[in-house]
Amino acid sequence: MLLQDENLWYKDAVIYQLHVRTYCDSNGDGIGDFRGLTSKLDYLQELGINAIWLLPFYPSPLRDDGYDIADYTSVHPSYGTLQDFKDFLVAAHNRRLRVITEMVVNHTSDQHPWFQESRSSRENAKRDWYVWSDTDTRYQGVRIIFIDTEMSNWAWDPISKSYYWHRFFGHQPDLNYDNPAVREAMWEVMKFWLDIGVDGFRLDAVPYLIERDGTSCENLPETHEVIREFRKRIDLAYPGKMLLAEANQWPADVRAYFGNGDEFHMAFHFPLMPRMFMAVKLEDRKPIIEILEQTPQIPDTCQWCIFLRNHDELTLEMVTDIERDYMYDEYAVDKSMRINLGIRRRLAPMMENDRRRVELLTGLLLSMPGTPIIYYGDEIGMGDNVYLGDRNGVRTPMQWSGGWNAGFSTADPERLYSPLISNPVYGYQAINVDSQRRSAHSLLSWTKSVIQTRNAFKVFSRGSIEFLNPSNHRVLAYVRRLGEEKVLIVNNLSSSAQAVELNLQMYKRHIPIEMFGRNLFPRIGDLPYLLTLGPYQFYWFRLRRI
Amino acid sequence: MAEESFLADDFLRQLMSVGEVDLLVGIPSYNNASTIGQTLQTVEESLRQNFVRERVVILNMDGGSGDETRQLFERRSERREASHKGLTTLRTIHRISCEYDRSPSQGLALRDIVAAADLLRARACAVISPATTNLTPSWVANLLRPVYRESLDFVAPLYERSRFQGLLARDLLYPMSRAIFGNRIRELYSDEWGFSGRLASQCLEQDVWQEEAIRARPEAWMAIKAIGAGLKCGQYYLGPKTASAAASGPDIVEAIRQTVGNLFWCMETNQSTWNGRSNSQPVVTIGPDHELSSDGVPPSQEKTFDLFRSGVNELEPILASILAKDTHAQIKAIALTDRAKFHFAGELWVKTLYEFAASYHHAVLNRDHLVQALVPLYRGRLYSFLQEHANSSPDEMEGQSEMLCQEFERQKPYLLERWTAKRE
Repeated sequence: MLLQDENLWYKDAVIYQLHVRTYCDSNGDGIGDFRGLTSKLDYLQELGINAIWLLPFYPSPLRDDGYDIADYTSVHPSYGTLQDFKDFLVAAHNRRLRVITEMVVNHTSDQHPWFQESRSSRENAKRDWYVWSDTDTRYQGVRIIFIDTEMSNWAWDPISKSYYWHRFFGHQPDLNYDNPAVREAMWEVMKFWLDIGVDGFRLDAVPYLIERDGTSCENLPETHEVIREFRKRIDLAYPGKMLLAEANQWPADVRAYFGNGDEFHMAFHFPLMPRMFMAVKLEDRKPIIEILEQTPQIPDTCQWCIFLRNHDELTLEMVTDIERDYMYDEYAVDKSMRINLGIRRRLAPMMENDRRRVELLTGLLLSMPGTPIIYYGDEIGMGDNVYLGDRNGVRTPMQWSGGWNAGFSTADPERLYSPLISNPVYGYQAINVDSQRRSAHSLLSWTKSVIQTRNAFKVFSRGSIEFLNPSNHRVLAYVRRLGEEKVLIVNNLSSSAQAVELNLQMYKRHIPIEMFGRNLFPRIGDLPYLLTLGPYQFYWFRLRRI
Repeated sequence: MAEESFLADDFLRQLMSVGEVDLLVGIPSYNNASTIGQTLQTVEESLRQNFVRERVVILNMDGGSGDETRQLFERRSERREASHKGLTTLRTIHRISCEYDRSPSQGLALRDIVAAADLLRARACAVISPATTNLTPSWVANLLRPVYRESLDFVAPLYERSRFQGLLARDLLYPMSRAIFGNRIRELYSDEWGFSGRLASQCLEQDVWQEEAIRARPEAWMAIKAIGAGLKCGQYYLGPKTASAAASGPDIVEAIRQTVGNLFWCMETNQSTWNGRSNSQPVVTIGPDHELSSDGVPPSQEKTFDLFRSGVNELEPILASILAKDTHAQIKAIALTDRAKFHFAGELWVKTLYEFAASYHHAVLNRDHLVQALVPLYRGRLYSFLQEHANSSPDEMEGQSEMLCQEFERQKPYLLERWTAKRE
């Protein structure tokens, strides 16, 4: 039983997402590496997170920030060696930090040897490892994901004189999962990393593995078969390892990726993220409530992964046109902030550096059902640079100090893989780990304390949620419950002070204990429980019956 | 002793929950169970179609209905909004229902609506009648939008009328109010209108809500307040209007008591607004400024002439105290003419009304009785109008209306003369 519970570690995790390249440069070449990352593990342990999700670190032409993998079983030389990775993994495990790596299963780089062989001739043994066609009219009507750059899902290969299928960039040909040899090869890749000791994979672009005529080529039953096959093998050979799905779909469609607990352990809840931002801007809980009401139940062993920001644009695929327009108008007035169907900005700038709103959103993230992911730098309120092109503006070097290159690298600044954020508001001189460590009231210190509070109560990671329905719609209130453990969360989504009356009759005679200050509040009685909240203020209460 | 608040605690509690809004739609009701659900649905649809981002509240103010109007409103409000992979409006549509009094009064309902608009800092408001059965989502939007987006402070509706509809408005209320207040708002007395939060706040400050004239018909007073304050007024063409059978309007006596009584009261209480104005100005008009359809048949007028004639006889001493001798004599003379040759001229009609207004001002007798004394004369004028225009085209009738308006404006100095003259 205990072992089984240990295998569900991902349900209790607070995940920290980072790119090795961005985090810390140990050898002064201007690019972050595994040795640098290893040197920062104490910081991550201190922050309170207990899992690290690494973006792709494999050899790659880096035309899509590493999501164009040219070799699945090695480390990009810029980031170190395979041994550096192994050392990092041991060091992380020694600190009880799990490591989740990126597995880009849907496609490879066009520089991958598999593709080079496949395109070399129509007779090559690996020809059928990718999706080829003599025409570009197959699978017509399938949506194009990168609408800003791609005109078609087919690209012409002048070498083998035929078209290959790609759902993302033209230099990322899709693998052909109808071919058992491809599935076997990918399993060998997974085994390679699992044998080294990684704790789980984030599988990229999962809905697109299989193509079929007359369909959207997304979420097909055959795709689920592929996943089930991987999962079965993992459960048999590597119990306790975790699979996380990237499927930017509506919750009802993502639900299928949990299967009967025999596909993914976790999946991102994409539609919730923009709605948290929307709710705060609208000052109305409606978007959050509605999307969570549309979220189906998932098997007990499964968990949603929730996040505010990540390495990609704030995706607006899973919103209506009206909602998208609203998000653009409110959060991306400057057109350069927009990319594809999304917004390439970080948390703090989106919140106009308003500490109260950053805290409110972080509080929501950490108190809602699901495993939260914190994007590197957001714990200190890092800014972005929307002028860097693609999504590089949210992938700038981590700001460790106010010193040389923000403490990220000893290289000449010109040599850094990306310019630092250096404006007066978000620049590294103003926003950095060192200075925030020195203040008990900094955003970093606050983030540590809120993570610590979350980690102390399993109700946050495992508990049920029941929304209260106060007539004041600017207030989002819910009770998390796990056995006798009950937590009441009350959030003021608005920029002005609010009064709210909560119907807490179910918790009559309970004493609310504010969780950060541990102060007692008046006992819940017969009348509606009246609370007043300042702008963007939130409360976390333990409800105790003493 | 602390002053009593007219807002019920429960109402206030509900307003607190709503918070600041951009738009407020008020629905006064009294025994509208058969239509309230549809009205609410149409208003919601309008908000979903036209104001997806705005903070909105729909306010049902009920005058003590005995037919579960409020319960139906609340039940309808509890129903989940349809949503399919997303949201129909970005924000919550707040719905509040409250009883303002145990007796129906448009004025008291409006008082609570403007109080809510003031407290919630609504930018644009509309009052919608549940008795209107052909309300469409665009109506609601068309009353709100000019206020919300074009910064108008008062928006009256414009309805399409058949030739024989709305004769009281066309033959009395519009031309007289146009001449008096100088603004060409055609439907000063209507069941639907829009107004700004700014105007709501100004109206709320007025201590008039218990006045009889306001209790029944507060809308024209609101428009006149806007005109007096120099605020921007307009009108929006909404199309034809039908009312539910259950909500049949007041009879002619009651209609004149409510509207003409209100108009005279507005003149009395807003003298400084109008006594310096010598002509009228068009207002911002969206859509056609009038629309008479050629359909419709003249209503039966069998008894109308007899009622006019008997009224002139029976009310002779009363009319003598209201009208100038010459005017009274002319009316008595036409009352004696043959039914077939009867003609109540526009010039005489205008003079009569101005003398009534002046006598109202001088309170020559009980003001309510005075207004009621106008009823037989209106019947005479109506009879004459229908006789003469039974076969007129809409354009001809509109031409006649315009001439009457100009006659009202021409004779306005006479009104001022009577108004300022010492009571005889």
